Amino acid sequence: MGLDQIKNLMEVFTAEDPMAFDHPDGDPWADFREIMRIEWKMDFTYKHILGKYSKFFIELANKKFVTTECKNCGKVWGIPRPLCPDCMSITRWKELPGTGTLESYSVSNFVPAFMKVEIPYVLAMVKLDGADTLFTHQLKNYGDSVDAIKMGMKVKVAYTDEKVDHPMLLMHFEPA
Amino acid sequence: MEVLDKQRRVYVLGGGVSKFAAERVDGSMRDWINEAVLEALEDSGTRIEDIEHSTTSYFSDHFDKQLKAGAIFHDNIGMCPKPNVRVEGGGGTGGLAIRNAYAYIKAGLCDSMIIFGSENMGRQVPSDVAQQFIALASDTDWEVQVAGFYIAYYALMMVAHMEKYGTKEEQFALISVKNHRNAMYNPKAHYPMDISVDDVMNSRMITYPYKLLDNCLLSDGAASLIFATEEWAKKHSANWEKKPTIELTGTGCGTDFMRLADRPYPDPGILHFRGKQVGAEMAYKMAGVKDPLKDLDCFEVHDAYTGVELVSYEDLGFCKPGESGKLMEKGVFDIGGELPTNTSGGLIGFGHPVGATGIAQGVEVLRQLRQEAHPKRQVELNAKRGGMDSHGGTGTFCAINIFERRD
Repeated sequence: MGLDQIKNLMEVFTAEDPMAFDHPDGDPWADFREIMRIEWKMDFTYKHILGKYSKFFIELANKKFVTTECKNCGKVWGIPRPLCPDCMSITRWKELPGTGTLESYSVSNFVPAFMKVEIPYVLAMVKLDGADTLFTHQLKNYGDSVDAIKMGMKVKVAYTDEKVDHPMLLMHFEPA
Repeated sequence: MEVLDKQRRVYVLGGGVSKFAAERVDGSMRDWINEAVLEALEDSGTRIEDIEHSTTSYFSDHFDKQLKAGAIFHDNIGMCPKPNVRVEGGGGTGGLAIRNAYAYIKAGLCDSMIIFGSENMGRQVPSDVAQQFIALASDTDWEVQVAGFYIAYYALMMVAHMEKYGTKEEQFALISVKNHRNAMYNPKAHYPMDISVDDVMNSRMITYPYKLLDNCLLSDGAASLIFATEEWAKKHSANWEKKPTIELTGTGCGTDFMRLADRPYPDPGILHFRGKQVGAEMAYKMAGVKDPLKDLDCFEVHDAYTGVELVSYEDLGFCKPGESGKLMEKGVFDIGGELPTNTSGGLIGFGHPVGATGIAQGVEVLRQLRQEAHPKRQVELNAKRGGMDSHGGTGTFCAINIFERRD
């Protein structure tokens, strides 16, 4: 019995004083160096509402790229917004041709494992034709080498027919 | 904006920092807070029973699976039933806490305030889960779903900066070399190291142009600062007459769109931290700083990644856009240079326990202005002012604060 009674016990150990050199009178926390570590499992799933942005994702499934246009100032946000933050007017949906220009890109040789992408992968910021701000997504099908990717190159929205985990992954960018 | 009550000033009485390390298995956030607070009380010669208010600074409720952790920190140090408030702005949280102390004291809500910040940076969960938690600090509907994560976002900014201004990877590397080197003279630092530009350039590529040694690390630790009016300090601080008087003379804050993509295109687009420019201008105006390079003796700059520090030099007004790399090569920001930056080691060398980081910057500037820093990292005092720049997201929250020595 004793420690065996604790079902979630991971370890009991003696920790070192991380500041040993700084205490001329000895370790002030000497009585508190016995440490226990336990396991605590938490697991939950969200039922997430995509809100007033949902139409964007619905239209991606129809292989259409829609965003929003401000009814007052006419600004077209690359990423849709139901409310134009520039003038606080309610916007309307607008379809874009899905073509654009590569403004910046990054090539990652590492990604956190929870992200289901193959490395290296390319994140691109694109100025879509007809939009006033940028849009961020992955750039795929750029050829055999990332050297083929050039700032300012023409790109287009491409759609997948595969099953995806999140509606955002129904699209990506490709060289035009 | 005018600060009306010029008679009511806010002073920095003392500060404390726990040891920063990769994983402090000897304790938890509440233990590190205690460590930092004990040092701040001793440094300021104050007693907790006299301090009227506190501010809590931490970023994530996920890492420590504890919401409302401020209540625990506050009661651990005997502050109940006195008031407490939490501030949160990602990596900028600590800087916002300092700004909060200014606002509360200046407004007369209290005459004294202790601020404390900490972060349990996720060694208690697998590193993959920790990365997932950090990614939650970008837009989870739009950016995270396309495999966005912070190194990649900053890389997008840097690639654009390199393209426009000709900024070089080697210039980024110089930041890493400087900050790891400065940390060698800070016994509380997580990552002191004597390295070369080649070491940085040859470290493992994560996301171009960022290699492993261009990045700060996840650190455990805590920091604390105590602020008060002169009247309160005279009555309650045993060290008020003994130590140099340090005043919090300027505070500024600026913000930008959460997502890089939404920022005004093409200017500043993704090239600059617009919120930092706004915050710095506010803080400088309050503190009477006209030429930051000359009117400040040291500056703690938010260096989550090397390029962030370099671009921040431009947005903090140390130089014109695109010139930071060349000034770095000239040694302007080294100890002994015109404006030494991150004398503590910064996030890269000292460490980055998020909620503690901005407060630890303040503790470093306090030590510098009192000339208490290790001789190898102590700066020369001319203007008797020091600045700090605390920044969250990709410049989503920026808080800039200025301390000045008054004697």
